[in-house]
Amino acid sequence: MAYTSKQTGFWASKKRQERIISLILFIIAWLGACIFVVPLVWMISTSLKTPTDIFTIPPKWIPISKIIVNYDTKLIAKGSGIAKISKGEEGARIVDIIKEGKIVSSVVVPIVGELYVKNKDVIKTGDLVAQIPSSGTAKIIKNPDGTSIIKILSKSGYTINEYNLPRGTKFYIKDGDTVRVGQHIATIMPQWHNYVEAWAPKALNETFNTYLLNTIIITASAIIGVLLSSTFVAYGFARFRFPLRDLLFLLMISTMMIPVQVTMIPTFILFKYLGWIDSFKPLIIPTFFGGGAFNIFLIRQFFMTIPYELDDAAKIDGCNYFQILYIILLPLVKPALITVAIFGFVYNWNDFLNPLIYLNSSSKYTLALGLQTFTTMYGSYYHLMMAASTIVLLPVLIIFFLGQRYFIEGVATSGLKG
Amino acid sequence: MAYKTKKIKKSRIKMSTHEAIWGYIFLSPWILGMIFFTGGPIIASLILAFCRWDLITPPELVGLDNFIKIMSDPKFWKSLYNTFYYTIFAVPLGIIGSIIVALLMNQKWRSVRLLRTIYYLPSVTAGVASAIIWMWLFNPDFGLINYFLGKLGIKGPLWLASEEWSKPALIIMSLWGVGGNMIIYLAGLQGVPSQLYEAAEIDGANLFQKFINVTLPMLTPVIFFNLIMSIVWSFQIFTQVYVMTQGQGGPADSTLVLVLYIYQKAFKFHQMGYASALSWILFIIILIATLIQFKFSKWVYYEGELKK
Repeated sequence: MAYTSKQTGFWASKKRQERIISLILFIIAWLGACIFVVPLVWMISTSLKTPTDIFTIPPKWIPISKIIVNYDTKLIAKGSGIAKISKGEEGARIVDIIKEGKIVSSVVVPIVGELYVKNKDVIKTGDLVAQIPSSGTAKIIKNPDGTSIIKILSKSGYTINEYNLPRGTKFYIKDGDTVRVGQHIATIMPQWHNYVEAWAPKALNETFNTYLLNTIIITASAIIGVLLSSTFVAYGFARFRFPLRDLLFLLMISTMMIPVQVTMIPTFILFKYLGWIDSFKPLIIPTFFGGGAFNIFLIRQFFMTIPYELDDAAKIDGCNYFQILYIILLPLVKPALITVAIFGFVYNWNDFLNPLIYLNSSSKYTLALGLQTFTTMYGSYYHLMMAASTIVLLPVLIIFFLGQRYFIEGVATSGLKG
Repeated sequence: MAYKTKKIKKSRIKMSTHEAIWGYIFLSPWILGMIFFTGGPIIASLILAFCRWDLITPPELVGLDNFIKIMSDPKFWKSLYNTFYYTIFAVPLGIIGSIIVALLMNQKWRSVRLLRTIYYLPSVTAGVASAIIWMWLFNPDFGLINYFLGKLGIKGPLWLASEEWSKPALIIMSLWGVGGNMIIYLAGLQGVPSQLYEAAEIDGANLFQKFINVTLPMLTPVIFFNLIMSIVWSFQIFTQVYVMTQGQGGPADSTLVLVLYIYQKAFKFHQMGYASALSWILFIIILIATLIQFKFSKWVYYEGELKK
């Protein structure tokens, strides 16, 4: 009591207190959310960059960069001594300034530069050693593959600077324009072409067409298998009384605890003897046998909420069990079916271990497996790796945004009642 | 009288056998699956654990040989250590993280639906693609993480290229997926009856006291379930490690987790018996971990207990 009575002024109002706490939490929540989207934003941003732009510090968020002509126009001595001029690469000259036998400063003057000092001149710190033309003429060379080269030439025709520009470059100058130091000459636009390159990688035998088609076949078949068999089994558990039912149900629930690695090896050997290795069969056919404990459990929970009277009425109308299941009950548990289908989609789309074990030839690879192979070949081409990752994730993200209601409801139901 | 009951009984038995037959018919896909893809393989794997088999020559019973070899296999102990290391950090941090996020997402803000979507999103991207994204984020020279650390004046480690930091990197990556469990806790939070909060308020409880005395106890069943499943899952970590280390578990076996070692033994070196023995050890560890949790589950508060 004494504690509360001490509070005066600003903090006295409980409502105000709560509002301020709520505001702080709100800011924390959004900060966290920003951190959570960063990896995905960074993936998309990187996927649209040029190979040189991915390695810039500080990192660039927007995959647009500008080309600005930058070169020192005046080369100035950094120490005092006697000039010694020697020849460098490609006609450039090196002006070393020597004092007491030691090089105190060294300036490289490119071929276009005009020397201001002679050999054995005495030079003081800050003296002008050479000058480079402060303007040049642009020469734009377009390559057939969509890239271009821009050269800045001096009056006498020597190259002052040269840039290799990727596809999608927007020029701010024309061929033959005079370019001055510090002038903005081109903008490199997002490299959409990275996606084309990632889709049909030159270092791999297959394109993502194959991976996508394989993944769609496997995922669609597996979803059908899961839906058919898990509704079937869930109906059995929810609507029939028979000996050992509860024990079997408990057994089913406890199989969720069994690590797949325990069954993985004998199952592999079984499929090997059946000749199923390097086919989609090991990834599809098992889904028709139960469809997973989690899914059976989820659908059973939904069936349990439907009154028995509905079944009885249908029975009186002459429906058999299959008709009751497929005509009466299934339409009522549509949300559960969609949840199961969506989770089945995400699971099969992302699954890596099973395809890794069962698929050998690259023409049978799924997207996950293809993407992993891709990284082994393109380990440092982060722009292409991110483009390939985006290709693989995009369908999942689309399904997620279309069906997010079902994700959240599905997890909530199963999580609580488990 | 006696005759009548007998007849009723008879038809009831008939009815119930009829029902039982149909029940088993509907269960049959699962029963077959259970026999061929779960139960059978479990027994087969137990037998294999006592065999030597390279898939070419016929399997040979070797008794406890595999287990004896495993006990003196430094790679096994290393992989066990790595798996425990990962679990001990990733599971509690993941649970605390998802409860915190769930508490935030339980507020009445207008943008809360959008926030929930953002937090949940990474858990659907789990797999090869997200492992690749994190490889890039963890890049020592040009990765975003070391860039931000550098801004704070910290020289970032080599992460996945460092023996010391490769496991923390996997743990950090796992926290990106807290959204999946967040939804479970959110449902739990929304199931807490509001009378309890009102009663606590009348007793003069502040926000923190309300959390400790009302929210947390009511969440314990969810935490318990989530703890068990999180441990089961985290013992099975594989895809991220495989992708990030090209199936090697490097550097210097610092990310060689148990499942990766089982995979290597079975599908690279074709030591089916040895790998089966390893998988049984994994199974038994998970089983013991689960049983211990049930044994020490007194902290779990079930509302039903009050009504006794």
